[in-house]
Amino acid sequence: MSGGPTDVATLEPTSAPEPSPPPARRVTPREWVRENLFSTWYNSLLTVVFGALIVWVIFGVARFVFVTAQWEIVRVNLTNFMVGRLSRDLLPRVWGGVGVLALTIGLLTGLSPVSGGWRERVGNLRRAGPLVFLVVVFLSLAGTATPWFLTLGTVAVAVAGYGCARFLPAVIARRAGMVGVVGVIASYLVVSGGAGPSYAAFGGLLLTLFLALGGIVLSFPFGLLLGLGRRSTFPAVRVVCVGYIELIRGVPLITLLFMSGFALGFFLPPGMSRPELVTRALVALVLFTAAYVAEIVRGGLQGVPAGQTEAAQAIGLSPLRTTYLIVLPQALRNVIPALVGQFISLFKDTSLVTFLGLLELLGVAQVILEQPDFRGAGLQTETLMFASLIYWSWCYSMSRASQRLETRLGVGER
Amino acid sequence: MTDVTTGGDDTARDGVPADATAAKGDKMISLEHVDKFFGGFQALTDINMNVGLQEVVVVIGPSGSGKSTLIRCVNRLEKHDSGRIVVDGVEMSDDLRSIQEIRKETGMVFQQFNLFPHMTVLENVTLGPRQVRRWNKAKADEVAMKMLERVRIPEQADKYPGQLSGGQQQRVAIARALAMQPKSMLFDEPTSALDPEMIKEVLDTMEDLAESGMTMVVVTHEMGFARAVADRVVFMADGQIVEVGTPEHFFTDPQEERTKLFLSQIL
Repeated sequence: MSGGPTDVATLEPTSAPEPSPPPARRVTPREWVRENLFSTWYNSLLTVVFGALIVWVIFGVARFVFVTAQWEIVRVNLTNFMVGRLSRDLLPRVWGGVGVLALTIGLLTGLSPVSGGWRERVGNLRRAGPLVFLVVVFLSLAGTATPWFLTLGTVAVAVAGYGCARFLPAVIARRAGMVGVVGVIASYLVVSGGAGPSYAAFGGLLLTLFLALGGIVLSFPFGLLLGLGRRSTFPAVRVVCVGYIELIRGVPLITLLFMSGFALGFFLPPGMSRPELVTRALVALVLFTAAYVAEIVRGGLQGVPAGQTEAAQAIGLSPLRTTYLIVLPQALRNVIPALVGQFISLFKDTSLVTFLGLLELLGVAQVILEQPDFRGAGLQTETLMFASLIYWSWCYSMSRASQRLETRLGVGER
Repeated sequence: MTDVTTGGDDTARDGVPADATAAKGDKMISLEHVDKFFGGFQALTDINMNVGLQEVVVVIGPSGSGKSTLIRCVNRLEKHDSGRIVVDGVEMSDDLRSIQEIRKETGMVFQQFNLFPHMTVLENVTLGPRQVRRWNKAKADEVAMKMLERVRIPEQADKYPGQLSGGQQQRVAIARALAMQPKSMLFDEPTSALDPEMIKEVLDTMEDLAESGMTMVVVTHEMGFARAVADRVVFMADGQIVEVGTPEHFFTDPQEERTKLFLSQIL
């Protein structure tokens, strides 16, 4: 795409005649429209019909969003959407956790190995565009000035982290991945206070994120082991893994959740107290997702040519090292799109824990309809639309992050 | 054995005392009564073969004759079903230690190169020395660069395999095997997947290697290479060794009908 004829000439110092550049054609908007939208009578017809349709839809949505809709219910319950029934005394902790995350993101942005200076580094953050949009929506709904100040503070912390990145000792700077992991864990500890399963009190978006992130972090290694186990040379391991995967994949997620939520008591020895409901929900999500991750990983493993294993064996690598140095990196690289797809599914599936009575994002959207002020007002569309927006912006951000990961790891190149 | 410079090409060899080493009796690789089955199909039948220190043995034969299976048995990429395989005094058994011991000392070069696409050239070459020989990075890098110079592509060290031509990739694969400082090298049709103009650079590298005294077993269809470089030529058909001889004897005066037929088809 880039590189005009002069670039080509410098790259190939041959005496071949320099190709003349294609004649630059200036297309006026009018010409463009005529060529692309009204070239034939049926094209014109399609343009008119679909143009009208699009205008009608946009107009309808815009009228709803800006005129008809009563956003009061969302405005009043903004904090509920964020954290559910979490005690309001703990809100500073949540903001603290957000601050730690912001600091981490700032550091990682500063550490990211790109050549193009700050423009390119910050440009990479465009991937988070949907989330920025979400924050803007939140702030526009906020009734007080406090969230504005706190958001500005968070941004300031991120910028500070970016600025400090260069002063990190090289030992830390080389391990950007570790910085990210430590940052996320620290953020969680700040929010939860570090003691016990206090996540049981989480609600709203906070609970959704906890379940989604916890589910991803736990189901990935578990699924990886299952996927490897399914190809094990030990029949016993293979049988157990195949049995697990096929059993779990044959059952709807909602039944797993119901079992962990209501039926677990039958399976536990008497006297043993049941774990927190949130814990059980998380375990069900992890068990479910791991089976799918295992199959994705297996697909990736099968895509790595046998010659790779043979070459590794031929230089004397042990089976274990062959797997994690040669086979897995190639297998996982090839299944990033499928893996991220699975994790996006998981993110949205966390909404099913509503049926266990947990108040995550969707749960909040349902419950607030019963508040005395809004009961019977028919505001489902508003709350569901708002919840959808939150789900969408997170999932779309994940999807974009996955695209970036693919480009960076050179997926599709051989 | 007679003079091996009968190849006729521009490849005069000097100084490798094939006679003396082969006769020395210190066997590098020996196969005794080796059988190999794939299901009901017998791929190798009663293979008996010795490769002496610093000897270059070229294995030829029609496709499906078991040539590749033969050398893949030597480092246990295929498990032989009966008979003995002894490499440098270590007998190949089901014991993983014996397998690792033999693989450590036996380099292998594949038809499809099998470089690791997610690692740079240098990382490909240093992987074995660092992980298996447990050398530190400095030493592994130094040896790797030496090997890359030996195959004449040190300037490609930081590229990825996908950025190299087939011939360059195969030379990296040779460097990767050499970096382990093996006592012998196995080549499984190393030029069969290459474009014609790249075959020579790989064969030249292999010839240099042979001249340096490396013990080599080479499965190939390159008759010119066999004539010029081999100390002995082994002809296989239908999973059996049909005829063994010096290149001169083999190409000018084959004894077996099967050999004559094969040579008449390819020469």
